Amino acid sequence: MTATIVDEATIRQALSQVVDPEIDCNIVDLGLVYNIAIEGTKVTVTMTLTTPGCPMHESIAGGVKCALLNLEGVEDVEVNVVWDPPWSPAHMNDDGRKRTGIY
Amino acid sequence: MMEALSRPSVMREATRLNKPCHMPTKRAAAVDVHAPSVALPLRFILTGLMALLAGSVWLVARPIVLSGYHYGPEVLAATHLFVLGWICSVIMGAMYQLVPVALETRLHSERLARWHFGLHLVGFAGMVAMFLAWDMKQIGHFGSVLAGGVGLFVYNLGRTLARIPRWNVVAYGIASALSWLAATVLAGLFLASAKCWPHITFFQPIAAMHAHAHLGGLGFFMIMIVAVSYKLVPMFTLSELQNTRRAGWSLALLNAGLAGTFITVLFSSPWKLAFAFVVVSGLALHGIELVAILRARKRRNRDWGMRYFLTALALLAPVSGLGIVLAWPRLPATALTIQLESVYGFLALIGVVTFAIIGMLYKVVPFLVWYSSYSKAIGKKKVPSLADLYSPTLQAAGYWLFLAGLALTSGATALGHTNCVRAGCFVLLAGVAVFVVNIGKVLSHLVRPRLESLVLKPAAQGAA
Repeated sequence: MTATIVDEATIRQALSQVVDPEIDCNIVDLGLVYNIAIEGTKVTVTMTLTTPGCPMHESIAGGVKCALLNLEGVEDVEVNVVWDPPWSPAHMNDDGRKRTGIY
Repeated sequence: MMEALSRPSVMREATRLNKPCHMPTKRAAAVDVHAPSVALPLRFILTGLMALLAGSVWLVARPIVLSGYHYGPEVLAATHLFVLGWICSVIMGAMYQLVPVALETRLHSERLARWHFGLHLVGFAGMVAMFLAWDMKQIGHFGSVLAGGVGLFVYNLGRTLARIPRWNVVAYGIASALSWLAATVLAGLFLASAKCWPHITFFQPIAAMHAHAHLGGLGFFMIMIVAVSYKLVPMFTLSELQNTRRAGWSLALLNAGLAGTFITVLFSSPWKLAFAFVVVSGLALHGIELVAILRARKRRNRDWGMRYFLTALALLAPVSGLGIVLAWPRLPATALTIQLESVYGFLALIGVVTFAIIGMLYKVVPFLVWYSSYSKAIGKKKVPSLADLYSPTLQAAGYWLFLAGLALTSGATALGHTNCVRAGCFVLLAGVAVFVVNIGKVLSHLVRPRLESLVLKPAAQGAA
């Protein structure tokens, strides 16, 4: 029997399925994901939201967990939502800028 | 990057979830700490929409409400339908949702809020019917039922505000708006009592009514709109409050100006002009702060919801101008000045407040529906965005119809021209109908969610 180890690229690909419904852009392109740590079958995602008190807070954090738990090789997910450093458009990639018109 | 993240700012999610994620768990439910059940705000909002529609049809059927003198049974009945049925219902429902989420706390009691809804519904519907029948005793009875509901609302939100982690300008603004709401209801009950037992008052009835109207319109509606705009406009435009002191001063001036306006209007004092200027300076500071917030926004394109809201705030300029004119000492009571009082009330309630509410409802209702239908599917299914729930074409059509109806009705009201008022109200009704259809489109997602499967990518890289 072989153990399956997930890598960061796969995690990012899965996270790109999680969309901020207010801005209509996925959280990877928006630059909301600050860090991904993988320890065996446990993944810790450190991320932010576009604004503190965002009403989508629980939904997006829950979506991150579900998206990652759907991956083979992921058994445990922890999501840390941080406000420092605050999000800014500088964190977005070109796809995100193109999609949202936020520069 | 991680070194830059300060530890105290890390807000650890309440739980870790273990597979399978599609099975809802108690631990997952515990994550939803801020939002009350969506059924709670939605029942208030749907009540409000029905009242708006009924009120708009009423104005088309009976344009004399606006073209005639504004102190009479039918005008007061229609006004209370708009004020209590439409505006209060929506603001109260939205507050139950917004205050806990925006101020990062939990609603004190959903049960009390449900009781409030029942009392509110019976109270305002009974009041409107009794105003039409001009039965002051029954107005007082139904007003007391409504006041019971308002008492629960103020208590519930007061307890909610008491537990917020950090008081800020938004929280102070909401707290002051709640205080003015309580004062408005007490003043209304006093007015009804004074009609039954005239010996308990020495105030002129018209002056007392105008003072009561300013308490509600400026104290509850306007201060609430100003306060929440300091949270919502930055949130929806991806900006920040630019000057907290300026925002605080705008609310302080509004509160001080309203206190003075209430007293001076009640006693028909010439000093009301001075307090009108205090109110206008508070609104001007609010406008300056909003311009600064918008200049700093990261989201350049403005959606229709924000356009409605900002148009409402722009309409404050003509309303403020009219307010100054009508507060002028020894203003002669001519046919025109009396009609201008009606225009002032109409533009304030149906222009500023209604436009602002429609703008915010285009944000709040899609969020509530999305939250109810799609939040549990995020990351598992392809979910629509909030903007996918409604039609921007209908938003634009509703905006222009409503604005045209507002302008036509205001002009016709000033002239006291009944047929033109009817035409203006008809255009207004068309704008309202478009809005209601669009909201119906949003609500249809509650019944028939549109979920699509995610395109699943290859899972993990296999390794030994």
